[in-house]
Amino acid sequence: MADTPNDWLHGTLDSLILTTLARGPRHGYGIARWIEEQSADAIRVEEGSLYPALYRMERRGWLKADWGRSELGRRAKFYRLTAAGRKRLKRDAVAWRRFAEGVSRIMLHARDA
Amino acid sequence: MEPGGDGSGRPVFRRDVEGEVREELDFHLEMRVRELVRRGWTREAAREEAMRWFGDLERLKRECASLGRDRERRQGAMSWLHETVRDVRYAFRQLRGAPVFSVAAVLVLALGIGGTTALFSVLDAVVLRPYTFERPERLVTVWETWQGGRGNVSAGNYVDWLELGVPFERMAALRWASFNIATDDAPERVLGVQATHEYFAVFGVAAAKGRVFLPEEDAPGRSNVVVLSHELWERRYEAAPDILDRVIRLNDEPYTVVGVMPEGFDPFTEGEQLWVPIAFTPERRAMHDEHYLTVVASLPEGIPVEAAERALAPVAAEMQRRFPEDNAERGIRVDPLHDIVVGPELRTRLFVLMGAVGLVLLIACGNVASLLLARGAVRVHELGVRVALGAGRSRLVRQLLTESVVLALTAAIAGTLVAFGSLALLVSAAPPGVPHLDRAQLDGAALMFALLVSVASGIVFGLVPALGATRQSPWRALGGRGTLGGVRNTLRGTFVAVQVALAFTLLAGAGLLIRSAVLLGREDPGFRAAGVLSARVSLPPSMFADGETARRAFTSIARRLEESAGIEAAGLTSQVPAGPGGNSNGLVPEGRPLSVESAIDARLRIITPGYFAAMAIPIVRGRGFTEADVAGGLRVMVVSQLIADLAWPGEDPIGKRIICCEGSPEDPLWKTVVGVAGNVQWRGVGQAVRPEFYLPIAQAPAQAFTWIQGTMTLVGRSPAGVDVVADAMRASVRAEADVPLYDVRTMQDRLRASFATSRFNAQLLAVLGAMGLLLAAIGIWGVVAYHASRRAQEMGLRMALGATTRDILALVATQALKPVAAGLVLGLAGAFAATRVLRATLFGVTPTDATAWICAAVVLGSVAFLASVVPAHRAATVDPASVLTRS
Repeated sequence: MADTPNDWLHGTLDSLILTTLARGPRHGYGIARWIEEQSADAIRVEEGSLYPALYRMERRGWLKADWGRSELGRRAKFYRLTAAGRKRLKRDAVAWRRFAEGVSRIMLHARDA
Repeated sequence: MEPGGDGSGRPVFRRDVEGEVREELDFHLEMRVRELVRRGWTREAAREEAMRWFGDLERLKRECASLGRDRERRQGAMSWLHETVRDVRYAFRQLRGAPVFSVAAVLVLALGIGGTTALFSVLDAVVLRPYTFERPERLVTVWETWQGGRGNVSAGNYVDWLELGVPFERMAALRWASFNIATDDAPERVLGVQATHEYFAVFGVAAAKGRVFLPEEDAPGRSNVVVLSHELWERRYEAAPDILDRVIRLNDEPYTVVGVMPEGFDPFTEGEQLWVPIAFTPERRAMHDEHYLTVVASLPEGIPVEAAERALAPVAAEMQRRFPEDNAERGIRVDPLHDIVVGPELRTRLFVLMGAVGLVLLIACGNVASLLLARGAVRVHELGVRVALGAGRSRLVRQLLTESVVLALTAAIAGTLVAFGSLALLVSAAPPGVPHLDRAQLDGAALMFALLVSVASGIVFGLVPALGATRQSPWRALGGRGTLGGVRNTLRGTFVAVQVALAFTLLAGAGLLIRSAVLLGREDPGFRAAGVLSARVSLPPSMFADGETARRAFTSIARRLEESAGIEAAGLTSQVPAGPGGNSNGLVPEGRPLSVESAIDARLRIITPGYFAAMAIPIVRGRGFTEADVAGGLRVMVVSQLIADLAWPGEDPIGKRIICCEGSPEDPLWKTVVGVAGNVQWRGVGQAVRPEFYLPIAQAPAQAFTWIQGTMTLVGRSPAGVDVVADAMRASVRAEADVPLYDVRTMQDRLRASFATSRFNAQLLAVLGAMGLLLAAIGIWGVVAYHASRRAQEMGLRMALGATTRDILALVATQALKPVAAGLVLGLAGAFAATRVLRATLFGVTPTDATAWICAAVVLGSVAFLASVVPAHRAATVDPASVLTRS
């Protein structure tokens, strides 16, 4: 059974990444920090899951990576959504809402029989 | 931005995936460290903590690197595809933009590609995949060996082999026989096979209609069943659907049709039209001395031919032990069926032809390569611009190669038409006796071959010009006029030299084959073929089972023929030279021990006395046969010169005695030699002479008529022409028996057929040689003309300074002929190697025959000379003033 929110994360990381990048290109660290901040630190993005997910999504054509300059002045790899990625994000958002509503209905409001 | 764009312009393939992963993860790590430091951690502690967050950093790097490489591969493949499509479109634009070049190149290539494809179809049908049944490589023929030669099998041996156990899956015995098919209106003589019942199972082929023989039908008295070939069923019985159970008359006996074989079932390519059971009698099963059967078998999986042959050695030894007189020194030999049907000689011939066509294709490629070089000079500007814009050299070369391949593929389409035409021509003009030739067609395999050949040609002729065109640096191309004479001239000269070398090889080969064919044609066959007609007649078994009836019938036919009006000379023989049939017997000269070692294996001919005169075979000593050589008188024999040399070297053979064909140690039934006849090329011209001997028909042993299956060949001559002879023959036969005359051909025809293949080969190679020569000449002409036009200004200047036309001519011609000379030298080496291959197919000439080579060199040299002198002359007669004023 899931002990922490991170266990629920598996499977939804892709969607979170897509959502993050919908707001503009970011590098890997930037994506992790944004998710952590937006979720009020409830979700801690593990580097060991983040980067494989990013590479996989780039291979599938949802993301595109380019090297650029970070805030520090150092070289960093920036990711952004492709058109296919945007489509996927829309689909994911719809599916997630239905799933979350369904689970919430059962777990939070279900009456005992 | 381009994929992989970090601004450096490095192409996608060269991306350092591992380095990038490292850089990316290091950045993230550093950012985490700063985050912690901001919160008050020390740098070292922060780093430790951040590393812990990462977990197994190395494994992560590896995982990401692997994913990254995968991505690179996919992207690389996609971009490669897009680039190739772009290149192809560009290539078509280029071709359309230079129509003269394109059409010339396409035509030249189409000839080469079409020719090779047509020949591949022939090779495929005849050599590579000739059979319609499965696992043809598992099929073998089994022979007896004796005195170093290979021979047919006796029925007794076959039956005993089966009993002793053979290492085959299935085995069957067969012999060919001709049959009279008689219906009321159209008697016909067809070739058929008598076979044991396992015959069809050996090949794994079932009847298309009905069935094949049952085991019980392969017995005397029950064997009047017949299986028809598809062709016979269609032709003679109009593919009647109710053919099964019909009764037809073969050799005057009723046979029930039980089956029809599928189309194309002709394993030995002899063209037999029907099969009947051989039905050995008990007496026949015990006979080990008459060797007349062909034995075919199928090998089990995994057993090679040699292993099967070794496994039969003990069987052969056992047979020698059991039947010492008949089987002494007889071994058993196994050969693949393929070797029997498509002999190694035919294979060599076909591969030689393929090689020759390949050479023509290469010469054509040389021409196109030269053309491309010339075009490259024109496109220097365009290519220079692309290099300046960042295209790497390999990218450009790839694009140029794509253009070449597109050109070649376009030529392939035209080449398919050429292939179609040449295949039809080949098949119709080919001499008879090439097995399966009629099945050659442009099928999927041939088209695939054409595709491969085109792509290969495209790369071959495109590579060097592509490398040459992309050689130079962009600035010279953009700035100057890009003459770049030196390298191109050397390249072009090399092409010319190579083309000349290839053409020389072709011509030398053609010359050798032509000389061989000519010599074959002049060969003295040992008899006079001009004006002699031959025809065969077969008596039905009911007539020749009793030898005396056959003897009387044949003697009578011969007499009638000789007495016919207009006949100058005529006779009968059991086998005519270059004709089918034939029997051998062993001869033992008197004084030698009566054993197989001392016997001479010789071909028997049973003849009427008029035969020698009819064929104009010289009697070099003694006499021929006369009417006085009758049954009951002195047994006489005429031997060939070769037998006289073998049996009594240096002595007079007349009067010497020989045992053969009949008799026993107690009662030898000696035959006395009364004459020596000149050697005859019994299998036709170009084959080795074999020993042969003649017996008069009056004295032939009665069972001899069974040996020859009651079939003899009539020969006759008439000053009034062969039609008179044919009519006389028919009349003579009709008066004796109700059997048709068949295989009516002049001796001239038979003889020609025996070397038709060599002649055809020579003609074909001569055509190919001419084509190669033409292409090479065009190549030389083009190069010289091109040079001359480029140097027009220089010529004009020289002439203005006092050079005569002749000087200019000499200058241009010398320059042109240098590569030709180099090519001839190269060609000598190449031709030497290549013509070694021809050795097996040559007759009377060695591969280094001086005449052929000198002729080839002279022809090539003259053509090359003409091809350079004419354009040089045109260049030299240009008006200097007009040339100099051109800028």
